[in-house]
Amino acid sequence: MGGSSAVVATTGPRRSPLTTVAWILPGTIWLLLFLIAPLVMIILVSLWERTPVGFAAFSFSLDAYGRIFETSVFLDTLKNTIFRSLLVTALCILIGYPIAFYLARCVKTIKFQIALFIVVLAPFWVAYVVRIIAWLPVLGRQGVINYFLVEVLGVVDEPISALFYSTFAITLALVQLYVLFMVTPIFFQLATLDEAAIEAARDLGATPGKVFREVIFPLSLPGVLIGCIFVFVLVMGEFATVRIIGGGTIQSVGTLVNDYYTIPDLPAAAAAATMLVAVMTVGVAILLRFSKIREVV
Amino acid sequence: MTYIWYLIALVLLVIPFSAMVFLPINKSKPVLLGFFLIFIVFMYGPMMTMGVLSFQGPFGSMTLPAKDLGSLHWFTELRAESSLMVGVRDGITKSLWVSLVVAAITAVLSLSLGMAFRRQFRGGGILFYAILLSLMTPGLLLSLGLSFLLYYIGFNKGEGMLGYVPIIGVQAVWALPFGFLVMMSVFNRYDARAEEAARDLGASSFTTFREVTLPLIWTGVFGAGLFGFTLALNEFERTFLISGAINTLPLKLYIITSSSVLRPYVYSLGVVTIIISFLLIALFLIVSAITGRKKALAIEEDGSGVDDLPSMTAAAASGD
Repeated sequence: MGGSSAVVATTGPRRSPLTTVAWILPGTIWLLLFLIAPLVMIILVSLWERTPVGFAAFSFSLDAYGRIFETSVFLDTLKNTIFRSLLVTALCILIGYPIAFYLARCVKTIKFQIALFIVVLAPFWVAYVVRIIAWLPVLGRQGVINYFLVEVLGVVDEPISALFYSTFAITLALVQLYVLFMVTPIFFQLATLDEAAIEAARDLGATPGKVFREVIFPLSLPGVLIGCIFVFVLVMGEFATVRIIGGGTIQSVGTLVNDYYTIPDLPAAAAAATMLVAVMTVGVAILLRFSKIREVV
Repeated sequence: MTYIWYLIALVLLVIPFSAMVFLPINKSKPVLLGFFLIFIVFMYGPMMTMGVLSFQGPFGSMTLPAKDLGSLHWFTELRAESSLMVGVRDGITKSLWVSLVVAAITAVLSLSLGMAFRRQFRGGGILFYAILLSLMTPGLLLSLGLSFLLYYIGFNKGEGMLGYVPIIGVQAVWALPFGFLVMMSVFNRYDARAEEAARDLGASSFTTFREVTLPLIWTGVFGAGLFGFTLALNEFERTFLISGAINTLPLKLYIITSSSVLRPYVYSLGVVTIIISFLLIALFLIVSAITGRKKALAIEEDGSGVDDLPSMTAAAASGD
C-alpha cells in the first residue's frame, strides 16, 4: 500500500486524455454510486425530518440528534463502543505484532514464509457470519472452554455461564475476526525492512532490546498505524458479532443503528451513524497525527 | 469475574511480546514459534470444533460432548424438503449467481482502474483514496446509506431482477480495492517494452491492448475476479439492509441464528461454505503457480535471467 505518487507505475505508454477518461470512468461512476453517495446520504438524512415510514427529503431539522441524545442510552453505548474498539485494537497489536514479526523475520526461506502467511490469512476468506457462529461451541455454557475448566482441569465446580453473551466473549471474537487486518500490514512492513540499518545497529553494539526499540519498531510503525486504523474503524462499525454473540443483551452503536432502522426512525439511524463516522474520523486523524504517515507511505 | 479473564489474557500476551522486544532472535524464536502455534489454534480452533460437531448423529447438539460422531446426518439434512432447507438451498444458488456477476464486474473495474493508474493523471490521488475508503467503511454504514438512497428514489428493494443491482453494487465496491491492489502489483513489475514494440510496428492502441497487454496480465485480472467472487460469496453486513426478500446464504444464516432453534445443520452449512472458500483459495494459488513457472521459463529462454533477478524475487515474494 502506498501514496498515489509512489503507487503510479508510470510504465504505461503515452495516451490521449480521452483514453485516460475511458479507463477512469467506469470505476469512478461505480464508486460514486455505491460508496460516496450512500455516505453523503447518511449525513443528509440525519438532518431531515422523520415521517412514519421514512424521511421527508430536504426538510431540514436537528430533531434526529435530539431524539438520540434524549436519553443517555446512545451516549453510553457510544462510550462503550469506543472503549471496546480501543481494547480490541490494543489486543490486536499485542497479538498481531509478534505473529507478523515471527513470519517476517524468523522464517528463513521465502517459500515457507509464503506458505505460512497463506495459512494465517486463509480464515479471512471464510464467511464472516460462519466465523462468528463457530464461537458458539467454544464459548457456550457447555462449550470447549468450560469443558476444560470443569472436566479436565477441575478449577471451577460448575460451568461459567457468563462466557457467552458477555463483553469478554465479544472482545475475544472481535480480536479473532479482525487481527488479520493488523498482521498483514505489519508483516509487509517488516518483510521489507532495511537490513543494513539493523546490521549497523548491531555492529555498533546495540542490545537486542535497543535494536528493536530504535530501529525495527520505528521502521515498522507505518504498518502498525495502518493496522490500527483498519481495526479501530471496523470494530467501531461492528454489528453482527455484537448481535449474535451478545445475544441482544449487549449493544454497540451498530446494533443501535439497526434498532432505529427497524422502528423505523431512519433519521435517528442516520444521526447515530453520523456520530459514528465523526468518532471514526477523529480517531483516524489522531492516529495520523501520531506519525508522519503521509510522508512515509 | 470478567476482569480476571482480561487479566489472564493480558499476562499471556505480554510474554511473547517482551520476548520479541528484549531477546536476540535466536533466543526469542522458540517463544515466538510457540505463540504462533497458539495463534493458529486460536484462528482455526472454533472452525475445527464446528467441523467436528457437524459430523454428529441425529441426536447431536450444538455443544460438546459430541454425540455419535462420524455420521453425515446433518449434511444429508441439508437436502431435506423442509421449507427451511429449500430456503437455504435457494440462498446458496442466489449467492453463487451474485458472486459470479460481482467477480466479472470486479475484474473489469480493477483492470480499467489498473490501466488508468499506469500513468499519472489529475485527480489520481483522490481516486486512489476513494478506492481505499471502501476498505475502511464499515459494512453496516454502506448498507444504511444505500438503503436511504433507494428509499429516496422510490426503489423497491429485492423485487425482480432489478433488486439484485444494489446488492451487486455494494459487493463490487467492497471487492474493488482488493482487485485494484492485485492489478497494481501486476503493473508494478510489468514490462512495457512488448507494448512499445507493437506500437512501433503500427498496431493501434486497441489492438495493442487486446493482443499484447491482455494476454500478459490475464492472471492478474483473473485474480481480481476471484477476489470479487470469494468476498461476495461471504458478504453479509453490506447487503443486510438493502436485500429485501433476496436472501443470499450469509443473510439466511444470520436470520437462522437470530430467530430459530439452532440444530447442528448450521454447523454443516458452515463447513460447506468453508470448503468452498478454501477450494477457491487453492484455485487462486494454482493459477498463480502456473503463471509464476511460465514467467520463470520465459526469462530463462530469453537469456536475460541475471538482468531480471530482482523482478523474479519480487514475483516469488508476492506468490505470483
